[in-house]
Amino acid sequence: MTDLAVDQPGRREALVVTDLSTIPAEPSDDIVYEHRAPFFASVRTLWANREIMYTLAERDFRAQYKQAVLGLAWAVLSPVATLVIFVLVFSHVKKAFPTDGIPYALFAFVGIMCWTFFAGSLGSGGSALLTNKGLMAKTQFPRECFPLETMLVVGLNTVISFIPLTLLFVIFGRAPKVATVWVPLFMVIEVVFAVGITLAVSSLIVQMRDLAQVLPIIISLGIFMTPVIWPFSYIPTKYHLFGGTEVHGHWIGGISINLQAVYGFINPLGPVINSIRQTMLLGVHPSWWPLTTAAAGALCYLVFGYKIFKRYEVNFADIA
Amino acid sequence: MPTLPEGTIQVERVWKKFRSDKTLPLFYDQMTRLSRRLTDRDEPGYRWVLKDVNFDVSPGESMALIGINGSGKTTLLKILSQVTYQSAGRCTVVGRIGALLGVTAGLHPDLSGRENVFLYGAVLGMGRDAIRRKFDTIVEFAELSDAIDRQVKFFSMGMQMRLGFSISAFLEPDILLVDEVLSVGDANFQQKCLQRIGEIVNNGTTLIYVSHDLASVEASCQRALWLSNAVVRAAGPTKDVVTLYRTEVEQNASRVNMEPGVVQVLKAEVRATDGGPIRSECELEVRLVLNAPQEAMANFFVGVSQGTAFPMFVVDHHGTMPEGDFEVVCKLGYLPVPRGHYSLWSAITGYPRGKRDPYLTWQPLVSFESFGPDRMDPPQGVMALTPVYVGAQWEVN
Repeated sequence: MTDLAVDQPGRREALVVTDLSTIPAEPSDDIVYEHRAPFFASVRTLWANREIMYTLAERDFRAQYKQAVLGLAWAVLSPVATLVIFVLVFSHVKKAFPTDGIPYALFAFVGIMCWTFFAGSLGSGGSALLTNKGLMAKTQFPRECFPLETMLVVGLNTVISFIPLTLLFVIFGRAPKVATVWVPLFMVIEVVFAVGITLAVSSLIVQMRDLAQVLPIIISLGIFMTPVIWPFSYIPTKYHLFGGTEVHGHWIGGISINLQAVYGFINPLGPVINSIRQTMLLGVHPSWWPLTTAAAGALCYLVFGYKIFKRYEVNFADIA
Repeated sequence: MPTLPEGTIQVERVWKKFRSDKTLPLFYDQMTRLSRRLTDRDEPGYRWVLKDVNFDVSPGESMALIGINGSGKTTLLKILSQVTYQSAGRCTVVGRIGALLGVTAGLHPDLSGRENVFLYGAVLGMGRDAIRRKFDTIVEFAELSDAIDRQVKFFSMGMQMRLGFSISAFLEPDILLVDEVLSVGDANFQQKCLQRIGEIVNNGTTLIYVSHDLASVEASCQRALWLSNAVVRAAGPTKDVVTLYRTEVEQNASRVNMEPGVVQVLKAEVRATDGGPIRSECELEVRLVLNAPQEAMANFFVGVSQGTAFPMFVVDHHGTMPEGDFEVVCKLGYLPVPRGHYSLWSAITGYPRGKRDPYLTWQPLVSFESFGPDRMDPPQGVMALTPVYVGAQWEVN
């Protein structure tokens, strides 16, 4: 078909019938569309559309409790119920793991809170693109909004679960230590990690639905792979790869690695949970080395997760 | 590159491919494909849904996309609204886009109408203050003042449609994309929607309009683009493109292989009674020579259509259908059509009307050209859908 040039309004009036034989079977290589979503430009666009994200989160949060008789009270009631179960069950298994004198219910609740946020993000954020496909096929704001708004809702529920945490402190007659001021930093690491992995998973689930089936299995396995109910100190700080000998109980020479730091890079949740316990419950300094690798790891997850998401967003509306 | 004014659309050599229907991503299918690929018998894993589409639209123009189902209209709209991306080519859209694609999609069933106005408005890119300012107008337009605090899942389909349309209609975008949104809703509301779309266009918004309803296309668009089987078949002034499209649809309709019925058509002709050319307002004589296997009481129908199987008007007559060859002459007192290409359709059914198969199925028998003045257009935003009465004299020998 011939071009209808903008600057020639006279030609526009005419009827143009396409000569079908002029259309090639395939587009020439030089016009093939390549999707470019530069990292920082994407982040800027996302930031410009943050209102939409908040609105969607508000939608989900409201809808969650809409037809319940108790309404918003459930947001507080359900973590309190979890707490009651905790106190009842774990007051009997005090000796299960060494907890440095912290009541086990408190020790585990901190881990569970962190884990619930992560698992919730991954679980509902991971499938956010599928649950919102109706909206996604009709609107054009950044697709990241869907998994991220879901995470906002999960985050809000996590914040509410600070109420039972406070109750736990009261029950056991303890107070959070001064070092608690560090906790927001750890949470940032967790959020960065969760955002990265949720973005990657949500975009991959669209490509391969099998992942949606596997994900719950991975999540329920993950709780045992993460120091949620067991202490992080189970992972050795020094792991001897090879070489060296033991002299009077000390290992001399050879190559050894800090396994906690390695673990932290792969699963930043470990150091995060451990550090919250160390600061909030024990009042000591967090173990900086695993925490540093955890932060580095989380950042890698975020960057690569976002890149994967942006790479696959081309066909979300087509195949979701 | 010079900066283009807001409301401009430029589409250059746009191609879009979809994954082929045949490659279902099931494990079994993947295995089958793998084995095929090894033996070099693999079919391409995709098909083109848009091929080499070119057009541009200046600010304030209105353009319709027409074509049968699956011709690529909606895909093109989705590319324009940046919901999905083209596989090749360039698509430049300048300005804020308001897309009315399936207007109820953004509504959340568990939230009230009021909450949904804010939610959907925000999703479409309206600020909270802007929505608050327009809230009353939106609710009033949707005629939902009483129901606005009810949960949307208790709304009827029509109410949801009205709410969705009203929110989108007050967005004030630079470019408005409308996809077949008027299919739900009663006639009054449809008219209201068309008027609103007309207002938006008059305010300088660019309109891209997709619909199967050619009357509404003609009512709201200056230009049209006819998509057929992934390619642009024709583009230009709405009336010309629509006429071409109608002709094609007509040809396809007559190619549909139907049971013809027991009555055979031996001859069918149409002429002006006075022997001159067929023209507007002339007396039209339809002469059919038919063959029936047996005598029966029958109802004869003759209708004139443009493009579709749905006639603009029909005349009928009942009487005895003789056995063997017979002739039907029907004189239409007045041909109420403007210049154009038309089809004459006919059918013969039993009389009184029963469930029996028709003696002659509704089918186009002959097409003709009518001379005369061009059709007069209704005002912008108004659909011309007038039932026509035509007097007729019949003779069956």
